[in-house]
This record gives sequence, C-alpha cells and structure tokens, in this order.
Amino acid sequence: MIEIRNLSLWYRKDHKVLDDVSARIPKGRTVVICGPSGSGKSSLLRCINGLERFQEGEIIIDGQSLRSRETHIHKLRAKIGMVFQHFELYPHMTVLDNVTLAPRKVLNQSGRDAENKAMQLLTRVGIPDKASRYPGELSGGQQQRVAIARSLAMEPKAMLFDEPTSALDPEMIKEVLEVMIDLAKSGMTMVVVTHEMGFAREVADEVAFMDHGRFVERKPAGTFFECPENPRTREFLSRILK
Amino acid sequence: MDLQVIARNLEFMAGGLVVTFEITAVALAGGLLWGILLGLGRLSRIPWVYYPASVYVHFLRSQPLILVIFWFYFLVPVITGKPLGAFVSTLIAFVAFEAAYFAEIVRGGVQSVSGGQAAAGYSCGLRYHQVQLYIILPQALRNMLPALTTQSVVIFQDTSLAYVIGLREFLRRVNLVDTREARSIELYLFAGMVYLVLCALGSAAARRLERRREVSLS
Amino acid sequence: MLHYDFDWSVLWRHPYGKMLLQGVWTTVHLSLLAWVIALPVGVAIAVCRIMPYRPARLVGGAYVETLRNIPLLVQLFFWYFAVPSLLPGKTERWLYVNVRDLSYVLGVLALGTYTAARVAEAARSGLLAVPVGQFRAAFSTGMSPAGTYRHVILPYALRVVIPLLSTEFLTCFKNSSLAMTIGVMETTGMANYIDSFTFHGLETTTAASLVYLLTSLSVILLMSRIESKMRIPGMIARER
Repeated sequence: MIEIRNLSLWYRKDHKVLDDVSARIPKGRTVVICGPSGSGKSSLLRCINGLERFQEGEIIIDGQSLRSRETHIHKLRAKIGMVFQHFELYPHMTVLDNVTLAPRKVLNQSGRDAENKAMQLLTRVGIPDKASRYPGELSGGQQQRVAIARSLAMEPKAMLFDEPTSALDPEMIKEVLEVMIDLAKSGMTMVVVTHEMGFAREVADEVAFMDHGRFVERKPAGTFFECPENPRTREFLSRILK
Repeated sequence: MDLQVIARNLEFMAGGLVVTFEITAVALAGGLLWGILLGLGRLSRIPWVYYPASVYVHFLRSQPLILVIFWFYFLVPVITGKPLGAFVSTLIAFVAFEAAYFAEIVRGGVQSVSGGQAAAGYSCGLRYHQVQLYIILPQALRNMLPALTTQSVVIFQDTSLAYVIGLREFLRRVNLVDTREARSIELYLFAGMVYLVLCALGSAAARRLERRREVSLS
Repeated sequence: MLHYDFDWSVLWRHPYGKMLLQGVWTTVHLSLLAWVIALPVGVAIAVCRIMPYRPARLVGGAYVETLRNIPLLVQLFFWYFAVPSLLPGKTERWLYVNVRDLSYVLGVLALGTYTAARVAEAARSGLLAVPVGQFRAAFSTGMSPAGTYRHVILPYALRVVIPLLSTEFLTCFKNSSLAMTIGVMETTGMANYIDSFTFHGLETTTAASLVYLLTSLSVILLMSRIESKMRIPGMIARER
C-alpha cells in the first residue's frame, strides 16, 4: 500500500540524507524504524506524505505516485495521518476545534457531524472531558493523544508517527503507547519512528534499522531483537536497550 | 498668548482630526491586508511571486512618503482617465506605501510561528490558503500585535503629509487657521500637543502589549 | 489605455534638467547638514538617558518622547512659522532680511533635531547591548575606564550601532523631502515645481524616485560591505 522505490534526498551534493531507500509496506502492517539521529528516519516519513521533496526515486501510495502530475498532493495527505514529536496542536483553538478543523475544511463535513466524530475519537483515546480545553491546559501525554485523534478524524488509510513519545515525560509515555498499540491491533497501517522497543516487540510486524540514510537491517520483529545480523545494529541495540 | 484662537476654531480643526482618523483607518486596514499578501509572497518559494513582492517592498521602503503621494496623485488620473480627487489618490498612496512596511512585520510574525504548525496542517490534507488562514496567520497576528500598534502610530503621524496635496486633514486645517489668524505659536503648539498625547497613548499601548506577550511566553 | 503623452526629455531639457540636478544637490547637503547636527546631539542624549543621574535621564527621555511622537511636518511648521516670532522683534527682522535662505536653515534645524531623537534611540540600543559583564571583566584585569571603552566596549557597541545608524541616515535623507513644504527646492519639491510648468509631473516624480532608490541601494551595499568586514563569528548583536 505504501511503496518506496530507490528514494534519494539531499540538501548538499556531498551529503545524502536518504540514499537509495526502497521498501514495501503492505496494508495493515506496522513497521518500526529506529536508528541514530541524523540517519534520515524523520526525512523518510516526511517524504512519504509529501512534506519533503525528494530528488530521486518514487513513492507510490495506494497505486498513486507522488511524482505524477495527476496527483493532488493535498488529497493524498488527507489519506495519510501524521503524528509529530512535539504534538503541534494549534494553540489558539480548543481541542475539539483542533480535531474538527480538517474534516470541516477538507472533507466538507458539517459542524455537527465533525464534532460527533471528534467526540468519538476523543473517547477512544481516553480524554473526552478535555474537548473544550485549550492545548496549553493539557499535559504532554494528553496533547499527543489529541494529536492522534486529530489525524484519525480524517479516516486515513495509513498513519506515520515521528518519534511520538520522545518529547514526553516517562510517566506519560505509557498512555500514548497504549493508544498506538490499540490502533495497530485494529488493523491500521503504521510506520513508526521510535526508540520504544517495548512497543516494537508487542505490535511491530517488521523492524528496520536506519543509518546514514540507508536501511541497514530489516527483519520481522522477533528475529530483529533475537539475532541482529549487522554489527552496527547490534551496537545500536546494546546502547538503547537496558 | 491668545489661547482663545484655539477655542474659536476648535470645531473646524477637530473636523480635520476626524479626516485624519479616517485616513489612518483605511491605511491600516488596506495596508495590512495588502501587506499580508506581500509578506506571504516574500516567504514564497515560487520565483514569480517572490521577486515581484521583494522588489515592491524594497522599492517602496526606499521612497519618501511625500513623493509616493505625489506620484499617485499624478498617476491615478492617468490610468483611470479622470481625476479621482485628492482624497482617493491619497488613500491609494497610503495603502500602497504602508503595505511595504506591514509586509516586513508580517514576514517576521509568520516566521515566528513554529514550522511544525504548518506541517501539522498540511498532514491533515489542508491546502496552502487554509493553513495560512486558520493556523498560521491567527498565531502570527497575535505575535505581531505590538509591532502593528507601533506602525499604526506611525501611520497616524504620516497622515499629516497629505497636507501637500491640499487634503483637509488636521494639520492642514491648523495651517489654514494660522493663515487667517496669524497665531502660529499657539496653534502649532496645540497641534503638537494633540499629536503628542494621541501618539504617546498609542506607543504606551504598544509597550504594554509587548510586555504582556513577553510574560505569556515565559 | 494611458491617457498621457510622456515627455521624458523634460528630465534633461534646459532649464529643467539643471533644476532637477540642483534639487538633488540640495537634498544631499540638506541631509548631510542635518546629520552633522543629529549625530553628536543624538549620542549626547543617549548618554544622558543611561547616566546614573535622574534629571539627565528625564530630560533625555522627554526630548526623545516629544520629538518622536510629533510628526516631523508639524515640527517643521513650528520652526518655520512659530520660532521666528518667538525671537525678539529685532532679531526676527534681522533674520528675514539677512539670512538669504531662511527656509533652508530652519529646515536643517528641524530635520536635525528630529533625527537626533532617532539617533538617540539607536545609540542607546548600542550602549545597552554590551553586557554588563564586559565592564567587570575588563576592570578586573586592571584596565582603566578609558582603555575599557576603547578596547572592549566601543568595538562591541559600534557593531550594533552602525547598522542602526545607517538606517537612520537613510530615513533622514528621505525626510529631507518634507522641506519642500516650506519652500526648499530639494529633489521632490523640484519635481513638483517642474510639473507646475510642464504638466509632466509623472516623469519628474519617477526620476525623483530613482534618486532615492539609488541612494538607498548604495547605502545598503556599503553597509553590507562594512558589516562583512566587521563580522565576528559567533557574536550576535542584540537590539533592545
């Protein structure tokens, strides 16, 4: 459902952020990408939903190539949700407005339909009572859950997560991971950049290790942790696993 | 010192103050709208939007306002084929001129909004104008409020330049009274004091807004 | 479409070409003279505003607040219409008879005092930008106050102030155009004056625009040259 072919991205000629990356992510699968900072993981995510323009290669989502002229990028983006490390909730709007903005403006849903759907989603992520609050009044974990609800409101076919728990205090990581696990188990196609290996072990179908813009190792979750082949993978794992 | 001269002509001069406020209001609203477009244009990656916007802003900021007023006074009738009068061409001149200054303020304001906000909006499928209208500009305008207030005070002072094409705003009316009554000292002190009080209030408001913003950011 | 006969020869035809050039020259020396007044007066006022002596701070503050909140045109009119009548009768008469170009002199004074208030703000930013710690560090190594200013404070302060001052000079240059309202034949005034004879104001004002544009570009270019020579890696000059 998401297909990446020979993707390359660079800002300066001598430094490639992404170097000939290829992958296929079938529907319903959860893929976790890990790696050191600067390895290109976030850039890869941003290329998938067109936030970043790549120089070489192709990305095909549900049969539509990002490069083709017929593709309206904003329509494609509506099909893919993204959750950011720093939540990026709109501070000048209430939680409810945050969730309903895109459905109202892009899907042209009526105010009432959008709000009903939003309340359902907020209940699903566990914070229906915060609907009329402003993001500034919420904790980090709550904000991130609202961010997930905001993306889900567009009924995406796939969700991208860019280090969703890296900016959270430890006691709030669990509540966000629980939402993500629930999402994965319900069949959502997910690409998650994270260091939370517990999450990966529980729901990932495949784990990939990226370094210097390339996939170094990609394996089904079980084998990835039990017997990593590549020495760089082993070194990385030994550093982040206690 | 004959202060009676002020009292006698107060109604006439106050009428000029109304005109001054009218010009200020139009220049503010029009200049801000046009300035937002120019400011966004200067942040654009599309060459045929970026270069014209930048040239416009740099050019107008290098000009004295008096010259711009004259230029539009000559130019507008040439384009429309008939004289539109001092008031209309002054308004056009002010909007065109102040927009160049607002453009830079807007540019700073938009840049002060975190880049992730736009990314979040685009990720949900919103398009450029929706992202700007619902997400970026509301936040940017809040950040710009002190600078916008200061610029409004500047516009209020700039209206006095409409004098040169005979527009009967406040200063021109004070001047007219002076030619009749020849009491320059009293009259120009009066004019100065009116501007001083009004502009000082405006500047004080801008400073308070700046301090409130600094507090809420910390 | 355009209901107008353009006649660009008005820009160089006798006598208009010469008049235009004279106007430009007037703008140049008017601005420079005003600047010569504004710079020392402005710096002096900035120093007053940061002295540990309250009356000085109040006077400096009052000067800046007053002159910045009253439009330059009002101040100009005050100088031109009101100030001569403030002087004793004999002095006033002497001025009108003996000073050939009274408008010009009063224009310089008005522009100079106004620009001084703006220079004062710029200079104050420069002086305040130097972190207090620099003074202490220099003194603790045994440096004299004079040496401190010369080697530590001024190099830092100048790097903040000089860009600000160049902006103020350009503003002064543009503001010289206001002198036309009291009869000084500088660039803008001349452009308008020629129009009253030839009805080709569009051409003359366009030419005048180019004068200001070229001046602005030259100053900006000069400033970026100076700034690149003065640049110190890692130092960020802050404005208040």
